[in-house]
Amino acid sequence: MKRLSFDAPLAHAVVPLSIVLLLGCIFHQNGAFFAWETHRAVLREISVVGILACGMTLVIVTAGIDLSVGSVLGLSAVSFALFTMPWGLGAAPSILAVLVIGAIAGLISGLLVARARLQPFVATLAMMVFARGLAKQLSEGRKVTTSWLGADGVMRSIELPPIYAAIDARILGGNLSMVSVIFAACAALCWVVLMRLRLGRQLYAVGGNAEAARLAGVPVRSTITLAYVLCGLCAAIAGICQAAQETHGDPETGAGYELEAIAMVVLGGTSLMGGRGGVGLTLIGVLTLGYLHKVLSLNAFSTEARLMLTGAIIVAAVLFQRRMAGRDG
Amino acid sequence: MSAPLIELRGVSKSFGATRALDRVSFDVRAGEVHVLAGENGAGKSTLIRILSGVYPDFEGELWVGGTAQRFRSPQDAARAGIATIHQELSLIGAMSVTDNLLLGQAGRAYHLIDRRRRRAAAAKMLERLAIDADPDAAVERLPLGTRQLIEIARALALDARVIVMDEPTSALGESESERLFDRIGALLEGGAGVVYISHRLEEIYRLAHRITVLRDGARVLTADAKDLLRAELIRAMTGAELAARGAREASARAEAIFRVDRLRVDDHDRPGRALVRDVSFALEQGEVLGVAGLEGSGASELLHAAFGSVARGTGSVRVANESIQPSSPGHAIRHGLMLLASDREASVVKSLGVAANLALSSLGAFSRAGFIDRRREHAAARDMVARLSIATPSLLTPAGALSGGNQQKVAFGRCLLARPRVLLLDDPTRGIDVGAKAHVYSLIDELARDGLAIVLRSTELEELLTLCDRILVLFRGAPALELRRDGFSRERILHAAMGGAS
Repeated sequence: MKRLSFDAPLAHAVVPLSIVLLLGCIFHQNGAFFAWETHRAVLREISVVGILACGMTLVIVTAGIDLSVGSVLGLSAVSFALFTMPWGLGAAPSILAVLVIGAIAGLISGLLVARARLQPFVATLAMMVFARGLAKQLSEGRKVTTSWLGADGVMRSIELPPIYAAIDARILGGNLSMVSVIFAACAALCWVVLMRLRLGRQLYAVGGNAEAARLAGVPVRSTITLAYVLCGLCAAIAGICQAAQETHGDPETGAGYELEAIAMVVLGGTSLMGGRGGVGLTLIGVLTLGYLHKVLSLNAFSTEARLMLTGAIIVAAVLFQRRMAGRDG
Repeated sequence: MSAPLIELRGVSKSFGATRALDRVSFDVRAGEVHVLAGENGAGKSTLIRILSGVYPDFEGELWVGGTAQRFRSPQDAARAGIATIHQELSLIGAMSVTDNLLLGQAGRAYHLIDRRRRRAAAAKMLERLAIDADPDAAVERLPLGTRQLIEIARALALDARVIVMDEPTSALGESESERLFDRIGALLEGGAGVVYISHRLEEIYRLAHRITVLRDGARVLTADAKDLLRAELIRAMTGAELAARGAREASARAEAIFRVDRLRVDDHDRPGRALVRDVSFALEQGEVLGVAGLEGSGASELLHAAFGSVARGTGSVRVANESIQPSSPGHAIRHGLMLLASDREASVVKSLGVAANLALSSLGAFSRAGFIDRRREHAAARDMVARLSIATPSLLTPAGALSGGNQQKVAFGRCLLARPRVLLLDDPTRGIDVGAKAHVYSLIDELARDGLAIVLRSTELEELLTLCDRILVLFRGAPALELRRDGFSRERILHAAMGGAS
């Protein structure tokens, strides 16, 4: 009988991260890797995509996938900039409205998957294209900034609303970005959903075996729909953070983030087959990919080489984890 | 009679602790149909899988045309001239009729590119069985009966010397079956031999030259069909009387807690036909109703339709006079109805832990404001693990890591934790070993004594005779016979299940 350890996947996820960190320690570029600024930068760089990865984990646990998060992030960033700047709404109503937009995008994807029975890939691919189009439509294809051309043809300009600085603020003596705090909060919330809520149990059950879950009385369709709604909410939060960091709403922003978020979830060891994994694993995946980018850029790899190496390393890490998981049964 | 085309000598096969076949000898001669009879689980399927090379490992000898052989794979068997028509359809749904028919005919001149010749060859194969199907149609769009015929046509086209048919008519209508029987006649004239498995007495006696009966993996008899009376065949299949448990003491029962009225389930593969037709019954507290029926009798669909996991056509289902909505298992569970599915793939979530599986149908009872109370959940799970003696390293062990019998107990425990008033058990002992079976039997008895109303479907007649107060026999979806405990008769039940007049 093979011994089963509940935390085995966690141990397997830590190995690729350790290797990446070890590489950083070896090729440290005259100590640059040991500088606090380096780690602070990694944390800042991963936070926005990390928020996406948290929501993505919920969807992947149900054996789904959400390709729309990058576009929904872009739509949210544009909406947030529009609401706060040209429309002159307050911070709180703007944030609330953006969250509603993200949730609606998720709701539509979820209904397409759970009710219309489209394949998650197809449903969210459609939402990905649609949301990007909507972002461009709303922004008329331009970045939404503090200066805009009014309907009367007069250029208007305002100060950057304080909420931007507040979200992009550094706390703890400039060592920690508020965005990272928001990332941590999202991760904690998703962890609570998966590990403590009845909904989380139902997400795992539906992802593990939808038919068995249905026969056990789990409301399969609403469970799946909720996963996409929560994922859309995370994308909206990430969009607000992105707008705050960029100080404008760029309709092109977030393109390709969905793939990075999926890569992070998979690197953590959450299976695309559903039913297994968790936010804790995703956090490790987020750190792994973040540090990998940092180590490669410190060592002056070109962008091209970095992309190719990243692809190869994702494959190697996932193969390694599958091998280990197979050994544990 | 001529020498055997193929012969098994003293063949045994075990799966873990279960002995599926025990020193069985069997042969087929040219020009004969040799029927293999026996109840479900008697070892028929194992035997034909050995014949067709699916199980390369077994004890004993396999002789083909006078030489001892050993098939390493189904391809070996095909090369030795043995074609098998399996019960489960092995066609590829999205491919065309032509492609399916010519699949496995690699090596023929036209096998790759010549579309016209492929189409003509397929059309000829269809014609031989008078199959009405467009050679270009995707197989999945055809009715089930036609798919079965195509499967048969494909096997026949291999020009095999021995053709093994595992319940080939289970999805066929009468005229389709007739065409198959005609083809079998032609095959025999051509010098082939046929191994034929069927549950239908009519068919058996119409086709068989010889009959071999298996029971519990052993051969009971082999006889010429003309010398074997129907009653003898049935007795041979069912075996000795099992000591029946004393009748449940009749109590002053209240009115029915579970009532199914004129339930109908439509067959979506064959429009206009029904899987379950106008079945009605009522159950009192503490009563166990057995549902007997062979493959395709609709017994399993009846349970699923009552539970709401299969769409029902017409009819009503009531628990304690409250109507159960169709197509919502959650609704049924909240009203005290619970189903244990026969397919373990559909009764446990293998990636979830034991405790999580046990609690899955009663999450509402274990959570407050959406949060799961893990202490209470684990306490209840621990009690259930002890009560059902589930062998598991821990409550968090993924259910998939347990043995089949223990997975079944986890599914059973999940049903019980939901505190049902009516329990629908769909073949609850399928594929579990004898010890686990005994445990399930005593559990069913205990639950009935505690006042649960239980509907038990089983493919094993013994089980029904032992556990039930009443038995309802279905044939092709319709009630064929209902017996009370004092009138139980193995022969009458089997006869009714096979479509004989009662």
